[in-house]
Amino acid sequence: MLDKRIFKEIDYILLLSLFFIMTLGFINLCSASAASNYPFQWKQLQWYVAGTCLMVAAMTFDYRQLSKYALHLYIFTIVLLILVMFVGKSVSGSQRWISLGFFNLQPSEPAKLLMAIVISSYFAQEEREQFGLRDLIKPTLLVAIPFLLIFKQPDLGTALLILIIYGSLVFFARLKWGSFLIILGSGLCAFPLVWKLMKPYQRKRVEIFLNPDADPFGAGWHVIQSKIAVGSGQVFGKGFMRGTQAQLNFLPEVHTDFAFSIWSEEWGFVGAVILIAAYFLFLLRCLNIAHNTRDRFGSFLVFGITAMIFWQMLINICMVLGLLPVVGIPLPLISYGGSSVITTLLGVGLIMNVRIRRSLFQG
Amino acid sequence: MNKETEIKTPDTNLTLRRFDTGDKQEQQLFCTYCSFILLGCFLFLCLRLWYLQIYKGEEFKELSQKNSIKYVRLQSYRGNILDRAGRLIAGVEPSFNIGVVLKDVKDVESLIAELANLLEETATDIRMKLVAAKEQPSYLPVIIKRDASWQEVAQVESRLYRLPGVVVEVAPARQYPYGTVAPHLLGYLGEVSLEQLKSGNFPHAVPGDLVGKSGIELKYEKKLAGRSGYKMIEVDAKGRMIKVLKVQKPLPGQDVQLTINLDLQLAAEDALSGKSGALVALDPRNGQILAMASSPKFDPRIFARGLTEMEWKELNDPLLTPLVNKAIQGQYSPGSTFKIVMAAAGLKEKVISPYSSFFCNGSFKLGRRRFRCWKKGGHGQTSLYKALVQSCDVYFYNVGLKLGVDRISKYAFGFGLGKKTGIELPGEKAGFVPTRQWKKRRFREPWQKGETLNYSIGQGFLLVTPLQLSRMIAAVGNGGNLYKPEYVLDKEPLLQAKVPVPKRTLELIKKDLIGVTEDKHGTARTCVIEGIHIAGKTGTAQVIKQSKRRESEKMAWKYQDHALFVAIAPAKNPQIAVAVIIEHGGHGGSAAAPVAKAVIERWLQLRSPKPPTILQRKL
Repeated sequence: MLDKRIFKEIDYILLLSLFFIMTLGFINLCSASAASNYPFQWKQLQWYVAGTCLMVAAMTFDYRQLSKYALHLYIFTIVLLILVMFVGKSVSGSQRWISLGFFNLQPSEPAKLLMAIVISSYFAQEEREQFGLRDLIKPTLLVAIPFLLIFKQPDLGTALLILIIYGSLVFFARLKWGSFLIILGSGLCAFPLVWKLMKPYQRKRVEIFLNPDADPFGAGWHVIQSKIAVGSGQVFGKGFMRGTQAQLNFLPEVHTDFAFSIWSEEWGFVGAVILIAAYFLFLLRCLNIAHNTRDRFGSFLVFGITAMIFWQMLINICMVLGLLPVVGIPLPLISYGGSSVITTLLGVGLIMNVRIRRSLFQG
Repeated sequence: MNKETEIKTPDTNLTLRRFDTGDKQEQQLFCTYCSFILLGCFLFLCLRLWYLQIYKGEEFKELSQKNSIKYVRLQSYRGNILDRAGRLIAGVEPSFNIGVVLKDVKDVESLIAELANLLEETATDIRMKLVAAKEQPSYLPVIIKRDASWQEVAQVESRLYRLPGVVVEVAPARQYPYGTVAPHLLGYLGEVSLEQLKSGNFPHAVPGDLVGKSGIELKYEKKLAGRSGYKMIEVDAKGRMIKVLKVQKPLPGQDVQLTINLDLQLAAEDALSGKSGALVALDPRNGQILAMASSPKFDPRIFARGLTEMEWKELNDPLLTPLVNKAIQGQYSPGSTFKIVMAAAGLKEKVISPYSSFFCNGSFKLGRRRFRCWKKGGHGQTSLYKALVQSCDVYFYNVGLKLGVDRISKYAFGFGLGKKTGIELPGEKAGFVPTRQWKKRRFREPWQKGETLNYSIGQGFLLVTPLQLSRMIAAVGNGGNLYKPEYVLDKEPLLQAKVPVPKRTLELIKKDLIGVTEDKHGTARTCVIEGIHIAGKTGTAQVIKQSKRRESEKMAWKYQDHALFVAIAPAKNPQIAVAVIIEHGGHGGSAAAPVAKAVIERWLQLRSPKPPTILQRKL
């Protein structure tokens, strides 16, 4: 199945930027590990290797199989999410992990990717020039189930991310302008309801985001310390392993959600811009694939996965830079976490899969 | 509508749904838009990074340094206070503070209970202290007990392993090798107050520091306190030390050597114990204070550890006023001790001569009012010598009338009364010398002759402090010099003024005053010491008006007269001047003179070739 043409079709710029990001992520974790006295970087390296293998594996089969088994994948996602409710490990008040012995799986991570596949598949099959409100009922219900399951964990960030991925794909499928306005309006009206449904700590986070100085040693701590860390990096940073904010534990969760913070502190403006630029180069290449793919499902799939990576990156960085409330969304490939790394790399594998099969449509 | 285009693929099961041309264009257009949005986001993030890292970078850098670098203060050792011979009156010793680091405490309630048990503090007090310190960072200890006893420290130390969060800190505290000596003069230390910090007079202090609150401790705060040092350490977010970056050693405070003679001070305090009053002893030749005692005393150490309500009440007793330094803050009618000034004024103004006399029949008639002499039967024909020795009131009524209020006040001021002596101690009172103008201003009434009579025997409006009295008698002994009273050894004597009376006159009065102690009719025969002539004058100051008076001895203590005595010794060439006041002590001769005698006797002993060793007191 893999013929020689495939190697010509591989987007090497995309691949290079991907490995560049992973290298930076590894370097950054070395520093974060020193700060927390736990060798995260070696475990993360395992995930990189495993993820890369899975990425290659994800390129081997024809991605169109996914569309065929979309329903199965969807049911699998729901089962995983229900399973975590019963056998999940509870960490600090939220039940997010399933212990697999060698690995704690966080089902909400693959759920993002799986939902991207499922929604893409749905829209690829439903061919319409534009989607109106009525056409969106079915897919919305489809998304609502995993959304609520994740929201219940509670993991507000991931739940919202799934909504955002869905929204991005809806736009890609083209939404009627009227419908867009209605959704926007009803969304604003629903805000108080969502506010009520949120857990107290989640509400607090939003409040603190609006006014971090209200509780500098409590809930505002993360935002304030993260901004201090980033800002104090200045142009060239404090140097590898020499970021005082991170190394002296002023910053919480430097290895996960606030990984970008320690990176900016130690490598400064230059380092931070290089990392972001690598991301955007990577994302632009992905978009380019979506742009050039003639297959409807392929295009949707690439766009959905790209949106998934893009939004996670944007939200995480905005959070670190004090532009968004603190929500538990990792920075893909930089934050420590097996589920996230493997999910992201699998997604990239699928994007490459679409890319290398471009030649199939030449004939 | 979209057109489905099937394309043959290797896997025939799978279909390819191609975009139709229009669709494809729109999809590509959308992707192009997205690329621009991506670029926009990229620029936006870069802008934010530029704002945080470059525009505000300096600010955040400072914040991050403050975050991780902590200054630990190294307290300086307070300077010692020494007597004129170099003996340690107030030193420094390590004391132990028992504190609690809240963040390390697991079960606060059981810890409070345990500490209450070990420290003889109520659980409520401990809880209050912990609550009061809620504002401070949780990694700093909250001091539960300052200056804890050895027993308490031992109790806590031996149980530290099961008292997580409890710390025992070493802190310098005042130590008094001879027990409580001259607490009013030395002053006491207390935790610096907010007002003191705001005043800017304590630039070296931070909240929680002990600073001088009164007396020398306050006046010489800067010299005694020294300068605290610091240790710059790098800490993590929990305040734990990573490493020491820099150490600035504290500068210990300088010693202050006083003119106080510890032997005399102790003798004075012992003589005053159990009484309410004050004593000032100074060197007439230069104004150096040899002893300054005020009674009752207080324990200066209790202020540092915090007062109990009982102690607070005791210290603020309105009658005994233990906190008031009566030597400089107590204002009393001088009583008959003022007759010294009257005699000097009379002689200088030539209204009397050493040979002229008045007749005393026990009272003096002025208009319809009778002014009594203290001696019912009267003194008979009375000369100046007799009038001073026996303290005849009628004699001085006559002198007073001849002088008039203006001239009396002039000489009162001339002897340094009615204004501050300028001693460098906080809170000195000026006393009061009345004048005709003042009376007019204050009461809108002219000065009455009867008031002049009262004035002449040191009663009425006139008020003096014991320090002023000691200076007055010193001036009699040293030829009329008023020196600024000094209590620090290395200062040059400062002649502030000369008494407006020639030395000859003063010598004459001094000679007469020897009779007060040595004449068989003298009022201070209790103050005779073998081998030395003492010139003195007793005084008895009425607390309530004469008209209301009945027999003094039968009245309640607080209505009894104040007893006063001033003296210089040796009379020929005075080297010590003493002023004593015993509040509600009764007669000057019986209550105040023995106190002065004790001090002068001690002074004499010290002058002998083999002075006895320092008085041993129960510490």
